[in-house]
Amino acid sequence: MVSESEAPTSRQPSAHSMTKEEAVPESTYVIRPNYANKFKKTRVKSIISKVIAQTLEDKNYDPDEVGKWTQDICNTVKEQVKQLEFERYKVAVQCVIGEQRGNGAKMACRCFWDSDTDNYAQDSYTNNSIFCVVAVFGVYFY
Amino acid sequence: MDDFDGEEEATTFVVDDVSNVIKESIENTIGGNAYQHNKVNQWTSNVVEQCLNQLTKLGRPFKYIVTAVIMQKNGAGLHTASSCYWDNATDGSCTLRWENKSMYCIVSVFGLAI
Repeated sequence: MVSESEAPTSRQPSAHSMTKEEAVPESTYVIRPNYANKFKKTRVKSIISKVIAQTLEDKNYDPDEVGKWTQDICNTVKEQVKQLEFERYKVAVQCVIGEQRGNGAKMACRCFWDSDTDNYAQDSYTNNSIFCVVAVFGVYFY
Repeated sequence: MDDFDGEEEATTFVVDDVSNVIKESIENTIGGNAYQHNKVNQWTSNVVEQCLNQLTKLGRPFKYIVTAVIMQKNGAGLHTASSCYWDNATDGSCTLRWENKSMYCIVSVFGLAI
């Protein structure tokens, strides 16, 4: 009786093959960001404070210009956060600018998300005639 | 015989449903009240929490972000804007402005598909 036993042939992972055929991207099945690629709260906060200071420094509340300021701040902050290149993150930026006239105002937010991967950053600015709050939310896309 | 799926699960953000949810939550929380400085904290929390609870009860595959601003009516102006980097086909936002004699309430909901 001859018994043959074959060692299972080990296959090289196809990522190492250097064929000139079309490279088919393999699924990574990644459902959590790498620790280094997580949404960085403090970096985003510093972006927000710079952008607001640049846009609103020494400005007084002007009902004609305010709409433009809010949109500019939103778009600028979004572009700069995109440049930080958080992989697979969706970003939402919200900016609220109001006039200071002695009235009370309260802003709150609550989120239904995955607290391991998702996060937010916010900053505010006040001067004699304006108050401004900007919130940036980063949500991971599975 | 074709397979009948039953209810189709909405995989895109439906603005109308969310808008109704927001309206109900605001009216249930601050419906007939006048602005009171010592209660405003609790009101904003309640509005936001109710909104979020109702949205999650819709049972859709979305992550939600709800923000609310309550401001006393004083003649002062307020502007909000938002800019988002997402998938236009599936994600969306809804902002509702509500007022009564003494205050404004602005609620924004962002829905991001999983």
